[in-house]
Amino acid sequence: MAASATIARPRSDPTPAFPVAPPTHRRRTEAGLLVLAGLVTASAGLLATLGATHSVSRSYEEMLGAIVLLPFLAHLANRRLAPEADPVLLPVVSLLNGLGWVMIARLDHAVHSDYAPRQVLWTALGIVVYIVTLAVLRRPRDLERHRYLWALGGVGLLLLPLVPHLGEDINGARLWIRLGPITFQPVEVAKIALVVFFASIFVEKRELLSHATARLRNHRVPDPRPFGPILLAWGFSMLAMVAERNVGFALLIFVIFLSMLWMATGRVSYLGVGALLFVAGAFVGNFLFAQVHERITIWLNPWPYAQTIGYQVIQAEYAFGTGGIAGTGLGLGHPGFIPIVQSDFIFAAFGEELGLFGTTLLVVAFALLVGSGLRVALRARSDFSKLLAAGLITVLGFQAFFIMAGVVRLLPLTGLTLPFVAYGGSSLAANYLLIALVVRVSDEGERAALRQGRSPRPARRSSP
Amino acid sequence: MDRQIRWIGLVLLVCFGLLFLQLNNLQVLQAKKLANAPGNPRVVAVALDQPRGIIQTADGVVVAESKPTHDIYGQLRVYPDGPLYADVTGYDSILYGLTGVEATYNTYLRSHSAPVRSFASLFQNRTITDTVTLTISSTLQELAAKELGSMHGAAVVLDPATGATLAMYSSPTYNPNLLASHDIALERKTWTSLLADPSQPLLPRAYAERYPPGSTFKIITASAVYDYDPSLATKVYPKLTALKLPQTTTLLHNYGGERCGGQLPVLFQVSCDTGFGQIGLDLGPGNLAAEANAFGFNSVPPIDLTGAAPSYFPPPASFLKDLPGLAYSAIGQQNVAASTLQMALAGAAIADHGVIMTPHVMASIRTSLGQPVETYKPHPWRRAVPATTASSVTSLMLGVTQPGGTAPNVAIPGVEVAAKTGTAQHGTANTNDDWLVAFAPAQDPVAVVAVSVNNQPASTTGSSTAGPIARALLEAALASTAGHQPTGSTSTSTTTGSGSNTTSTTTGSGPTGPSTGGAGTTTTPSTGGGGSTTTTTTTGATTGGTTSTTTGTAATPSAATASATPAAASAATATATASATADTTAALLPGGSPALSNAGTATRSPSGQPVTGGQASWRPPGPTWSGSERAPPQGADTVPASGRTTGFDPPRWGPP
Repeated sequence: MAASATIARPRSDPTPAFPVAPPTHRRRTEAGLLVLAGLVTASAGLLATLGATHSVSRSYEEMLGAIVLLPFLAHLANRRLAPEADPVLLPVVSLLNGLGWVMIARLDHAVHSDYAPRQVLWTALGIVVYIVTLAVLRRPRDLERHRYLWALGGVGLLLLPLVPHLGEDINGARLWIRLGPITFQPVEVAKIALVVFFASIFVEKRELLSHATARLRNHRVPDPRPFGPILLAWGFSMLAMVAERNVGFALLIFVIFLSMLWMATGRVSYLGVGALLFVAGAFVGNFLFAQVHERITIWLNPWPYAQTIGYQVIQAEYAFGTGGIAGTGLGLGHPGFIPIVQSDFIFAAFGEELGLFGTTLLVVAFALLVGSGLRVALRARSDFSKLLAAGLITVLGFQAFFIMAGVVRLLPLTGLTLPFVAYGGSSLAANYLLIALVVRVSDEGERAALRQGRSPRPARRSSP
Repeated sequence: MDRQIRWIGLVLLVCFGLLFLQLNNLQVLQAKKLANAPGNPRVVAVALDQPRGIIQTADGVVVAESKPTHDIYGQLRVYPDGPLYADVTGYDSILYGLTGVEATYNTYLRSHSAPVRSFASLFQNRTITDTVTLTISSTLQELAAKELGSMHGAAVVLDPATGATLAMYSSPTYNPNLLASHDIALERKTWTSLLADPSQPLLPRAYAERYPPGSTFKIITASAVYDYDPSLATKVYPKLTALKLPQTTTLLHNYGGERCGGQLPVLFQVSCDTGFGQIGLDLGPGNLAAEANAFGFNSVPPIDLTGAAPSYFPPPASFLKDLPGLAYSAIGQQNVAASTLQMALAGAAIADHGVIMTPHVMASIRTSLGQPVETYKPHPWRRAVPATTASSVTSLMLGVTQPGGTAPNVAIPGVEVAAKTGTAQHGTANTNDDWLVAFAPAQDPVAVVAVSVNNQPASTTGSSTAGPIARALLEAALASTAGHQPTGSTSTSTTTGSGSNTTSTTTGSGPTGPSTGGAGTTTTPSTGGGGSTTTTTTTGATTGGTTSTTTGTAATPSAATASATPAAASAATATATASATADTTAALLPGGSPALSNAGTATRSPSGQPVTGGQASWRPPGPTWSGSERAPPQGADTVPASGRTTGFDPPRWGPP
């Protein structure tokens, strides 16, 4: 613990290397990858506006410039605040964010909306959240202290939309709160708070959860006592979800709860019980909730409902088919036929205009993000950090998978946003916060490794 | 814990792998099927989100243009004077496709890539549309609509020297804006109600519907006299009130029980039915059918519009056991049916020294940037009659507007107007189709007018109903041509009913006679209408001995385009006619052979017509869905009507 003061680099620490330190090897890699991602974003942006409008407007240039350059601010913050963090996370995020913005701006032209400037603002907000998170949170274990505060905060955020006059119904789901002109989707932040809570409590009660300590007749079963708070938090989440009619996040929270429990304990029986619970929940939901029933119906066969409830899914399929392998070209397709294409169904717009190449690129980018995040978890310094990073990146990965799978009709539609790609301020800000936490864990882990001499990097660092 | 993390990574990798497989399924295996699915709106939208070119009249009035919209299609086709020009422009409908100029010149109107003219142009926006300039004059078109008013009928004004259509209007008409609407429900409703309307407003009756031409057909019968048996031109026909027909006891009565007879000019001037009935019998079925075919009957007029219908004259064989039918056909009754355009073309044949120029509505095409693309080159469709015949028939037609003729009210002071009236009984209903075909100035025509007014009371005649319309159009056409300004008063006395015997025969079953009294003892021809509807289109012109196949272009006189003063025109007439008559070897082309219209490349086939009926099942979404706040799609016609407001749980998209 004595070393933690130097590792955490408190603001007052007058380490001479700190303000003028040359970029570490990782930061140089990150800068190079960021330039690469920026080049891809910039060229895609130019092609998209040329394809859609045959022109590049001044304001478009400015917005595109902002989207390409904003991640470099995060990179500068990394240099100062997390110099040893993983160099792949930020570039992949900036690529997803950039391509998402390009498509949103292009869709603005198709459906005459005005989302692109706001998405630039949301991106800036996300970067600010990222930097502030890194600046404020110097040690991941600081999060552990206020464990029940996180649980309370997560559940509170989940329940917030149910407060009269504050919550808003949009498309039948009560997910939003409105504060003056700003609408906000608290569930995106709640998922992070819950992961933090799960990570802290699962790590602490790991022994209890992993080893059977109670006896039920002849069988040894886990002590039921530590399950109390867990089930309470989970039950609250589920209830909130049912009340808000948001199946997507209920599923997501449930899956992350289950995977984190399993990661912490390694007990397959939890997965079995969870799977049973899930099947039962889906079965009951199918009967109790029209929305669930509807989603399952159009997942199995949307064609009889082509003009009604299946319209959106079928339009998405047309978009994928029209795109084919190479796509129609950015700005040259008709993604505007898909309702709500900027948020939930933006993946279909990529399918139409960039084809299989574009969709594969997105899938690979998410796989890369998940891979990097899990590597961070493997190299984390403490169990809490490990579980935290793994949980956060698993949430992100499953969220991306669920919505993409829903759009291509691999799974029923879940109504989640595609992280970093889809339009939305809450989603962007929350996911930047999520990545900042992973980056923080990564920096901590790498520095601990450096200190223990596991890595050959110190030589490089000391060179002028 | 690391083991589990690796497992989670593997699980997610498998998930993404499944995603990749499903993407391959959609974007490779099923791609073609999905991309071309009948419900895929992209099939149609490709054509709809780009602007289409402007269609404008000869005098620059825009009649069709594209306006940017803020719905999903991006471009709305707008017809500023929709109903007025509907017959010509046609419509551009999502559900019902393209018609009219929209269809024939679609390859020009739709957005297409301009050819690369320079290296620099490679980097410019080369997506252009072309502007189609019509031959239609907005003043004449408006006048035609005003003159026809609420009467059902059609008016066609042609420039006989070029075939240019100066005006073409049908009444009733429709509003193409409603069919071009992006509101699919409105489009479908409009379509249904237009089809249900018994007056058939959707039908461009000027060129797509046929009516018995009545006595205007005597232009063709008279031409046949000069072409096949000139001796009949000097034969004196007895003065009769009714002609006894062979093979039957039926009598062919003159209109209103008039008594008439004499030589061809007199018969033509007063439109003597008994005389022309006998002439038809004297000519024989082969000659009359050959002449009708030479004038373009039984052929589709090669006008650059969609849906032009061929006019009908029965094949000669059908008259072998129906000689009364031949007499009736000679006066444009029984089964003879002609479109207004066809009768205008018949007039144009006489006006243009026997040659029918290909009728057309396109004058020129330019790119939206102003570069010329194409200019219509007038070319003949067919030679109807030798120039000598045309000249002789012109003289006959001049008599009609003289005092004593059937249409002195069409005369224009200071201008020689050649005309022919027609009053045809239409079917069994006791109503008339009133016709008038006229051109002026007779020796140097600038315009030929054909007017048909349908379903008029039996008391009306061609001159009383169609005459004022034709005269007004002729005057306006003359006025628009320098030097032909009429000087006299424009009194339109329509009191020519007395003293003139226009045709009136009953062709249907039932003993109802014309309500005009007089000859109340009219009986119907026993064979009328029966059995003579065989549609074997024989090339009747085989009997025409003059088969010198000189190309019609050589025979096309270059006269009539110059705008000479009436005096100069009449002075020049002698030489002009002389030079034309020297050309007596001009061919009578077999009917139905469009040999002279080989230059028809101007009328490109409309490739890429976007939709046919097969697309009708597709319903595009509502105006805008941009974000989660928008309403879900409400099927205009597939969702129950109540779904729009209550009772229908709207589909929920994934909440963002």
